[in-house]
Amino acid sequence: MKSIQEILKEKPWLGWILFIFTVVVVFLLGMLASSIVERRAEAVFAYTPRITFPAYEPRSEKWGEIFPREYFSFMKTSDTGFRSKYNGSMTIDVLGESPQMVILWAGYPFSKDYRQGRGHYYSVEDIRRTLRTGAPSKDAPGPMPNTCWTCKSSNVPGMISSSGPSVFYQGAWETKGPEMTNAIGCADCHNAENMNLKITRPALIEAFNAMDKDLSRISHQEMRSLVCAQCHVEYYFSRDVTDGVQYLVYPWKYGTGAEDMEKYYDEIAFSDWTHSLSRAPMLKAQHPDYEMYLTGTHASRGVSCADCHMPFISEGGQKFTDHHIQSPLNNVGNSCQVCHREETARLVNDVYLRQDKIIENRKKLEMILVKCHLEAKAAWDYGAKEEQMKEILTYIRRAQWRWDFVAAGHGNSFHSPVEASRLIADGIALASEARLRLSRVLASLGYNKEVQLPDITTKLKAQEYIGLDMKKLETEKSEFLNKVIREWDKGK
Amino acid sequence: MKIIRKIYPPGQFRIPVIILCGIFTGLSLFSLYISRFFSYLGDDPSACVNCHIMAPQYATWFHSSHREKTNCNDCHVPHGNVFRKYMFKASDGLRHAAVFTMRKEPQVIFIKEAGSKVVQENCIRCHSELITDSRLAVYNKETNHGREERKCIDCHRETPHGTVNSLASVPYARVPLPESPVPGWMKQFRQNK
Repeated sequence: MKSIQEILKEKPWLGWILFIFTVVVVFLLGMLASSIVERRAEAVFAYTPRITFPAYEPRSEKWGEIFPREYFSFMKTSDTGFRSKYNGSMTIDVLGESPQMVILWAGYPFSKDYRQGRGHYYSVEDIRRTLRTGAPSKDAPGPMPNTCWTCKSSNVPGMISSSGPSVFYQGAWETKGPEMTNAIGCADCHNAENMNLKITRPALIEAFNAMDKDLSRISHQEMRSLVCAQCHVEYYFSRDVTDGVQYLVYPWKYGTGAEDMEKYYDEIAFSDWTHSLSRAPMLKAQHPDYEMYLTGTHASRGVSCADCHMPFISEGGQKFTDHHIQSPLNNVGNSCQVCHREETARLVNDVYLRQDKIIENRKKLEMILVKCHLEAKAAWDYGAKEEQMKEILTYIRRAQWRWDFVAAGHGNSFHSPVEASRLIADGIALASEARLRLSRVLASLGYNKEVQLPDITTKLKAQEYIGLDMKKLETEKSEFLNKVIREWDKGK
Repeated sequence: MKIIRKIYPPGQFRIPVIILCGIFTGLSLFSLYISRFFSYLGDDPSACVNCHIMAPQYATWFHSSHREKTNCNDCHVPHGNVFRKYMFKASDGLRHAAVFTMRKEPQVIFIKEAGSKVVQENCIRCHSELITDSRLAVYNKETNHGREERKCIDCHRETPHGTVNSLASVPYARVPLPESPVPGWMKQFRQNK
């Protein structure tokens, strides 16, 4: 065979063909290389959102541009159409249904107004509307501190991170009112960087520190409950942390049980208010949902809040977490039935059964407590002495704490029926002891008959009895809503 | 040496051919590097998401119990002997590469017959006790059909990739996709400019 040099000497045009052929090969190889580069570049953005926003973006609609399914399902928390046997997603006037609670909370803002809040979508609106927050004006500052906003708005994480909690909590609630432009939303539970769950409220971190637990070593599954526990817990406002500030604290130093917290409160001699009828140093359980859940069967099996209240759903072939946070009773198929292979009606009935039985005794305890307060008032009226009453008032404080611990959380009787029954039973025992001792005191003062109960069959009658001027409160509130709130919303 | 002398280009072609050969070699090496060619020789599942369209398959496997014990190759490549393994890898891989380069990938990827057979082989390779355990054996007129003609996946359809595997089914899944090939110092250089 001849060498290329010899061939080309004979046929010089062949050299050009060879040259062009090589050029084509290199060209095609270049195309292949650029195609690989192109598709690799695709991978960089194929699964990466193109929209960016700051770490504490308070507007959920901004997050929703990237996560439309989560966002639109979250917006369904605006739905108020569901009513179960005892609860639901609409406003429920609890005092209207149970006027005796007005007596239990005499002297405390809850006696003015206690309406069950609606979904997260309404968190700002509902706190503005309630009579408990009063009608602050320039001359009369509001009755509640800015601490109240902590759990109401997705503007909060950014504000707390820039100013620190103490500065945030400072002042009356209307001073930060205009800045609370968003309801609870994405920024409350998510890290904007990677959408991991995130604790944004310092009170929970501080409570874990107080229990010597490390929040950073918590599993993802526990986080699916703990983001809820940022707010759905028992809390109080401490004046001991920073001077002049009502600092948000979860009383978990000795644990999360009702008795553990009571021990803590007793130790620091804390009371939310002094009862205006019985003069007992009372505790108000806020909503120990997380603490009660911890004592239940579902918690001990590792089921998280999100497993039932935010189950997975699929839409258009995509599986994602339903952000329509709601009662599982309105979504049995995706929540209960994932584990329990029973008919919907049976499952719902199981829940109602537990609620029925616990409410039955809760109502009894409620009436005993009403009598406690009224009989204590009678004892004072007949001239009882401080030292005669001291122990009795402690009994009343303890009994009502147990009652409230069960009554304040809307899901308690299902989340933990055994613990709820135990607390109610303990409450009945304590309240009965208080009444027994009260009758002795009354007898010693020369009164040996039944104390006549006032007419408290309706909310208005009960409120009138404890001396609330409801008309005035309501007029002030509607004026506040019409003038001040309009002003706030203008800046939006 | 003789061959090289035979294909040695004459004077006026030498320089262009040298340059073209250099470009050819350089581009070939670049293609190997940019396609992470050497990752295909091992068993690391991240090699399979060199092409981002495999992200749903990766994500669903990563959320299944099979993640604990298997990688992609444990199920999708035959394990009889090393030649068969790499032969299958090469033919399957080249087909994938061709489809991906021509942008002919379907919206929903289904396994081909050859791949399906390999998967079935591998189900049995690990779970042989499930079909040999005499306590689990049943003999009736359906035995032949039930045990020999069907594949495990015919019933265990969601194992391990779930039911929906379209390219859009896991939009936010965290998958170790290859990162930008541009080295950090070069990015820095461009930014400083």
